[in-house]
Amino acid sequence: MSLTTLPCIHKLVRHKLFMRKNSSRDLIQGTLDMLVLRTLAQGARHGYAIAVAIERRSAEELRVEEGALYPALHRLERAGLLKSEWKLSETNRRAKFYQLTATGRKYLSAESANWNRLVAAVARVMEAI
Amino acid sequence: MNFWQRLRRRRSLEADLTSELSFHRDMRSQDENAPGFGNETLIREEMREFWTIRWIESTLGDLTFAARGLRKNSAFAIAVIASLTIGIAAVIAIFTAADDLVFRPLPFKDPGSLIALWETNKVAPDATRSPVSPDNFLDWKSRNSVFEDMAYIDSGRSVFSDSTCSEELHVQRVPPNFFKVLGVQPQLGYLPSDTSSRAAADSEAQVAISFRLWRSWFGRDPNVVGQRVQLDGFPRAVTAVMPPGFSFGDREVDLWPYMTIYSSGPHDRGARNMQAVARLKSGITIGQAQAQMTVISKQLAREDPHFNQNWTVTLDGLRDAFSRKVKTSLLLLLGAVSLLMLVACSNAANLLLARYSARRYEIAMRVALGASRWRLTTQLLTESFLIVACSGIAGVVLGRCALAGLVAIAPQVLTQTADVSIDWRILVFAVGLSIATGVVFGLAPSIIGSKADLAGHTKSGTARHVMSYRSPRPWLIAAEIAISVVLLSGGSLLFHSLIRLQDVDPGLRPANVLTFHFRVMSPHDSIRFTQAVSIIESLPGVRSVSATSFLPFDGTAPVLPFSIDGHPASKPGEELSAAVRTVMPRYFETLGIPTLQGRDFTATDNVPRAPMRFVVNEAFAKKYLTGEDALSKRIVVSMARANSPGQIVGVVGDVREGSLSSAAVPTVYCIYSHMPYGQMTLLVRTQRDPAAITVSVRRLMHSLDPKLAVADIRPMEEILAETYSRERFLAVLTTGFSICAVLLAAVGIYGLLTYSVSLRTPEIGIRQAVGAHRTDIVTMVLRDGAWFIIAGLAAGVATALGVTRLMSGLLYQTSASEPVSFGFALATLAIVGLVAAYIPARRASRLDPMRALRVD
Repeated sequence: MSLTTLPCIHKLVRHKLFMRKNSSRDLIQGTLDMLVLRTLAQGARHGYAIAVAIERRSAEELRVEEGALYPALHRLERAGLLKSEWKLSETNRRAKFYQLTATGRKYLSAESANWNRLVAAVARVMEAI
Repeated sequence: MNFWQRLRRRRSLEADLTSELSFHRDMRSQDENAPGFGNETLIREEMREFWTIRWIESTLGDLTFAARGLRKNSAFAIAVIASLTIGIAAVIAIFTAADDLVFRPLPFKDPGSLIALWETNKVAPDATRSPVSPDNFLDWKSRNSVFEDMAYIDSGRSVFSDSTCSEELHVQRVPPNFFKVLGVQPQLGYLPSDTSSRAAADSEAQVAISFRLWRSWFGRDPNVVGQRVQLDGFPRAVTAVMPPGFSFGDREVDLWPYMTIYSSGPHDRGARNMQAVARLKSGITIGQAQAQMTVISKQLAREDPHFNQNWTVTLDGLRDAFSRKVKTSLLLLLGAVSLLMLVACSNAANLLLARYSARRYEIAMRVALGASRWRLTTQLLTESFLIVACSGIAGVVLGRCALAGLVAIAPQVLTQTADVSIDWRILVFAVGLSIATGVVFGLAPSIIGSKADLAGHTKSGTARHVMSYRSPRPWLIAAEIAISVVLLSGGSLLFHSLIRLQDVDPGLRPANVLTFHFRVMSPHDSIRFTQAVSIIESLPGVRSVSATSFLPFDGTAPVLPFSIDGHPASKPGEELSAAVRTVMPRYFETLGIPTLQGRDFTATDNVPRAPMRFVVNEAFAKKYLTGEDALSKRIVVSMARANSPGQIVGVVGDVREGSLSSAAVPTVYCIYSHMPYGQMTLLVRTQRDPAAITVSVRRLMHSLDPKLAVADIRPMEEILAETYSRERFLAVLTTGFSICAVLLAAVGIYGLLTYSVSLRTPEIGIRQAVGAHRTDIVTMVLRDGAWFIIAGLAAGVATALGVTRLMSGLLYQTSASEPVSFGFALATLAIVGLVAAYIPARRASRLDPMRALRVD
């Protein structure tokens, strides 16, 4: 498996998707998609909640920029991995809630397996030094 | 979701995004330790890019932007579009006219191997391409080994009739293999099968007709093949309808009757009166064919010195043969129109550069604000594309109108040989030209732009080097001036020549003379001509009526050998010869040809029993009877088999036969009864407008004999005008082009100086403030413009002197370096240039110093 075998939605990605906090290094494209999908596996959320969830879970190590998040959400929706719905939020305001579709769920499980293999492979290489 | 749905959903998507983002922002702002919200515009941009196909949007945007920009600078837009429109229209019109003769392949199979053959007399200067004698043709055909096949063409007119009506039509009598030589198949019907004598005899009763005749006469009757018609009174069957547009050198021909020629035996070779065409065998070049034909013509000259002494054969490619008469004129026009196009393009380039310069500040600012180079380039390109598209469309429309005008004033020789119609190739050419212009002039400013020192331009628009010789713009204007000088000198030379030509005394008085033409089918009917003369004479308003076999200025009379009684006999090959014209009594009176000595023919001469009498022209008397009394001489003219000597009874003035620019030909006039023709042209001198009697003439002729087909009723003046129609055509067009070029150059000068003044406004303000007089300012601006105007004039005269020499063949009694024409061109451009420069100069001198200083 290589990084370039990640799904075709890659080619829609133009710029940095998200950044590591306090660093300007771009992370691998497509990773944000995976993180968004993983967050939504626990139930429907709106954009802000997704961003907050990723930040919390990464112990504030990752910060999701709005400029990356919303294009990613729309792209995933277009690809049929997500669906959206306008609902009332916890603060009683109208917000757009995103939810995994069946395809999204399947895609997520495949991608997580890929990701784990990738991380393990990278870790083995790094250990060898 | 397809593109259009996406475009439609755009609005709701935007609204959704707005509320989604504002929700996010609000949530974020409640969280105290969260960082600020990102760049919302950037997010929007990114989403938009994602929602729509970006390039379409940006192109539409560019188009709207460009259109808005052009509307705001409408003077600029109109100037550029008008320049290019004039250029494109002229190019379309002239290239269309030239297309058929110069570019379009002949509509025959493998036209490159088709050859036209001529006979050439080595000693007669005007017989370099004479028609071919039938007997010589037969000898060429039997002796050569270079041609696959050969055919002859005998052009003339015939009366075509069916049971109901008859009409005189142009015909080309051709051998049965004619269409096979050209490789053309009929649209309907069949071609004669082979060349056996039996088939040849059969084909004599057949005729091929043009598509046009099939449509107009037979109403597209699908059963036309086999239909019986009459040609000059002889029955023939229509066996073939040729494809639409088929013609061989003359588009007026409607009939191709088959005619087989046979050798008339030694020492009796027929006159040279046919065209000949041949197809080269594959692998044979025209040079090899020429070599062999020269050998054959030498043999023929040895075998029959009486007829063939000094004659040889000339071969031309068929295309050259067709376009020979009009080629020089067309090349001149192509040259002129290309020059005009150059002026139009450089004017457009100049204006686009000016526009770019004016926008430099804006462009630099946009680059500084982060616009990408590519984005700017596409925008500039879009603007030139818009300009070029407008000019292209306008040019095609104008070109079509110009073409209609062109055809109306074109000489007959052009419309007769060429099919002048716009087809898709010309349109592709015009569109290509427009696009090329757009790309070049759209890209040039953006390339210069991308190199521009942006920091410098953002400070202020003070580019003061516009008039310097390092800037391209003055050079473009100088080139325009130079080209205009060339065009204007050429045009005025042609006009001079035309005026001299119109001043030439034709030797007859063409006003109030009506001419028409008819033929009779059998010698018994030749009485009709005399009858016609006498009944038309009785019409009120008619002064005199006569007739001739060959009308001057419209076709040439045969040149026949003769001898003078009492002069020593001439050697073979050096016989005296003169044009021989058959006329009716009162011919000279009717045409207004002065009788210098002796008398006109009278009715008593015009009876077969009357003794042979001749009238000769002045050129004849001068050339052959120098110092002798012409009226005492008797001459023998080889007209028919028995030629009795005849007394010269009169000497008349010369008529410039053939064309006005050539000298008069020695001519012998013979009375009708001694040399009758089956066809005559009648001449009617009237008291008032000759066109008024046209109807009465037709009615009288019909009452005389309903079977007579009266043709070509036209005033003599019209026939005369046709002889210098080529000169008129060239003069009018070239002058038209040069006027366009001068106007464009004036716009160029004006635009450049106006721009330079606008840049120098603060400087002018300072000068005025420190006491410069108005005239000082005018002089300053004029001096700015003077150097490139002078450079352009000088270059123009130098080029014109070289170029106009090429057209000396088209000029009549006008030197190609005639000082008046050049002086006129120079003076015109100098004046136009000064006026165009003076307007901005004057405006500069009237600037309000206070306002001038406050610019920037």
